[in-house]
Amino acid sequence: MTLIFVILHLAPGDPTSTYFSPRIPPEVLEQMRRNMGLDQPIHVQYVQWLRLSLSGDFGYSYSEFRPVTSVLADHLPNTLLLGTVSLVLIFVVGCFIGAVQAVRKYSKLDSVLTFFALLIYSVPGFWLGLMLVLLVSSGALGWLNLPVSGMLDVNHEFMSPIGRMADIARHLVMPTIALGLASAAGVARYMRGELLEVIGQDYIRTARAKGLRESSVIWRHALRNALLPVITLLGLYLPLLIGGTVVIEVVFAWPGMGRLLYDGILARDYPLVTAASFLFAVIVLAGNLLADLLYAAVDPRIRLGARE
Amino acid sequence: MTNQRSSNSRPGFTTRGTPFFLIGLFAQLGCGGTDAGSASNGPPVAEEDRYGGTVVVSGVSDIQTMNSLVTTDYTSDQHQAFVLFAPLARLDEEFKAQPYLARSWEINADTSQVILHLREDAAWHDGVPVTANDVILTFNLAKNPATGFPNASYFDFWDAAEVIDSLTVRFTIRSHNEPFFGWARTALVPAHILSGTPPEELAKHPFGSQSPVGNGPFRFVERTSDAWVFEANEDFPQDLGGRPYLDRLVYRQIEDHVTRAAELRVGGIDLAVDLIPPVLSGLESSAEVRVVDIDAPEYDFIAWNSKRPFFQDPQVRRALTMAIDRGAMVRALRSGHGSVATGPLGPWHWAYDATWSPLPVDPDSARALLDAAGWKDSDGDGIRDRDGQPFRFDLMIAPNPEREDIAVIVQAGLAAVGIDVQIAIREVAAMIPAVTGPERRYDAVLVGNVSDMIVDERDSWACDQIGQPNQFTSYCNPSLDVVMDSIPIVQDREVLGGLLRRFHEIIAADQPYTFLFYLDRINGVRGVQGVEFGVRGDWLSVHDWWVHPNDRR
Repeated sequence: MTLIFVILHLAPGDPTSTYFSPRIPPEVLEQMRRNMGLDQPIHVQYVQWLRLSLSGDFGYSYSEFRPVTSVLADHLPNTLLLGTVSLVLIFVVGCFIGAVQAVRKYSKLDSVLTFFALLIYSVPGFWLGLMLVLLVSSGALGWLNLPVSGMLDVNHEFMSPIGRMADIARHLVMPTIALGLASAAGVARYMRGELLEVIGQDYIRTARAKGLRESSVIWRHALRNALLPVITLLGLYLPLLIGGTVVIEVVFAWPGMGRLLYDGILARDYPLVTAASFLFAVIVLAGNLLADLLYAAVDPRIRLGARE
Repeated sequence: MTNQRSSNSRPGFTTRGTPFFLIGLFAQLGCGGTDAGSASNGPPVAEEDRYGGTVVVSGVSDIQTMNSLVTTDYTSDQHQAFVLFAPLARLDEEFKAQPYLARSWEINADTSQVILHLREDAAWHDGVPVTANDVILTFNLAKNPATGFPNASYFDFWDAAEVIDSLTVRFTIRSHNEPFFGWARTALVPAHILSGTPPEELAKHPFGSQSPVGNGPFRFVERTSDAWVFEANEDFPQDLGGRPYLDRLVYRQIEDHVTRAAELRVGGIDLAVDLIPPVLSGLESSAEVRVVDIDAPEYDFIAWNSKRPFFQDPQVRRALTMAIDRGAMVRALRSGHGSVATGPLGPWHWAYDATWSPLPVDPDSARALLDAAGWKDSDGDGIRDRDGQPFRFDLMIAPNPEREDIAVIVQAGLAAVGIDVQIAIREVAAMIPAVTGPERRYDAVLVGNVSDMIVDERDSWACDQIGQPNQFTSYCNPSLDVVMDSIPIVQDREVLGGLLRRFHEIIAADQPYTFLFYLDRINGVRGVQGVEFGVRGDWLSVHDWWVHPNDRR
């Protein structure tokens, strides 16, 4: 956070830059700086900011005109929702496709899926997002009747509880695909490789030799072991996902932290950007912790090691 | 120049970024609507049937705050002036202020005193009547330097205020040609909510962006992470039109132009403000969407830093303008939605002279002017030089696709007459201190400008302002100073018109800026009736917007 604070303050301009107009006299801009506390030496600003931050008060947003905590409370759940659903998409779809490819290795299906996985993996998320927007709005995919942007229908508040959930789910479809599909393709490639390696192991041959059905061999024995390295990807994908939200949320006007951060940086909204960056760091750390816990869940050796 | 161009809230220096190849695809995919606007083509709708419905409006920027004393951005200003609040005055079609929330006013013979009478039936949305105390508080806060009111110059000619009774205020003013302009642009703030707030803490008060209480045709409902929601004010004074037709009005920020146009196409929004030309072909083919061009008070220009040796001679600046194909910019980049600019006044202004014509695109004449000024290619390297200094400079621009394309046209035009231009892309927040700082760390800068109806541009052009942040060209012409000194105080419109035209002509002759083109503001409407856009704003007629019962959400 200190690093972000320093870098932000070193960047040219300040929050009053956004007010620049020949009609606004310099002394008014100077007063605005005073009102924002920006007339203080940077070390004084830093100490004040640090003191408040440690007490959970992230200050006041210059661009949103309200406390940063209030802004974050509005936007953080939306990004967590989008990120979580995208993660589920990444791992469920990626693992499933990778497993199918491994089971049908060197088949036409494997080749086709490999081709599309590599194709999608190389497509930037923002481009995919804009393509989805255009296709859904132009008629080519218009029959899907999906919302183009935002998170809630204008009549959301008048819907039943189930209707509200369905409304949010419909709004999630396109940003989730844009955010997660490329990563899902990457996970599929990992999964295919891992599963192929596991399938060649002796214990798999033993399982087959004792007469287990092939589906049981793959889904109960092989997949669980193949998942272990894939789970480590969770920690790696989280920062990518967080970075991706900045662009995807702007494209889809998703009211989340990424879009907030983007606008905050342009507005030189120091308190908002530092707090949002801090929260992103917390999310990444939490994701890595979650990956470690999942590791333990799928690998009994790690759990035993912990008990010892 | 009064307010930098800011359709997406930030003066002139704005990003409007979607890659053009994507926008082209949008045009390709556009395949027409299915139904002619039923509301406009169907049977007439009875007055009582117009009430109801929701309209969703979307623009590039968000509403920042409803506190008119702490912000200047366009979207917030519009909602303050026409949605949540009813200002004391409103500009008519000739841009003369007329009483609105003020019932009337009287100005004495020597224009030193104004007696303002408030309406008896005006009330804040929490039921408290609007009184003289609200006017006094707003005025005092606007005049108090501690507030840091960005539009403080609106009240430069207003000196003091006193309460006569609960509905009457006496002001002491100095002569000005349109003193009430500021009151048309500045919503009152409620004394019963803000009276104890220190001026320097005003921006932080929840009144602005968390729980605003207005006195206009719509009342605040909620601000979600996604939208601002307003509902009809049932108690809005009958003399001002009474309850608006719409039940609800929603504003959503959608930064991406392609996405915003797509939302308008599919009906996710009903009204999109500030569209860009590349997304229009997908909309213009839709029978359900009406695309509207408005003569906006906006223009793009290049400011030449006269502290640099290249730009000190007016003849050289004229040569630069004549070497740049401004018509090509309008045709290629704006798809004809605009016109080549002649100077600071544009077709939107009542004093504009339609016989004015821009400097021609004439590279040969430009070369002759440069030769005459001593800028010749003495070493045969293709770049003109003088006293050993090559005519080579940086053109600073903000990172947005349209400005980058403009810069390329400028670069090509000047290269053809032997001038080497390097395009320097700078983030807005970095560009502003470079341009306005005392060192003037720029050669030329390409930006946009939003003009006000009141032309009071001493800060930008007056000789005694050189060195000040807003006089960033360091241009000086004493004849212009004389004209500018007279403009604010002349009452007679005919005389004022002559002065304004003289102001325009001097600047057009000296070319401290190369005025590139006036922009048309482009909005899209889907199924909303009663919409009237204009120089005064996009929400101007929001009180009278209505939606056919068959078209309601």
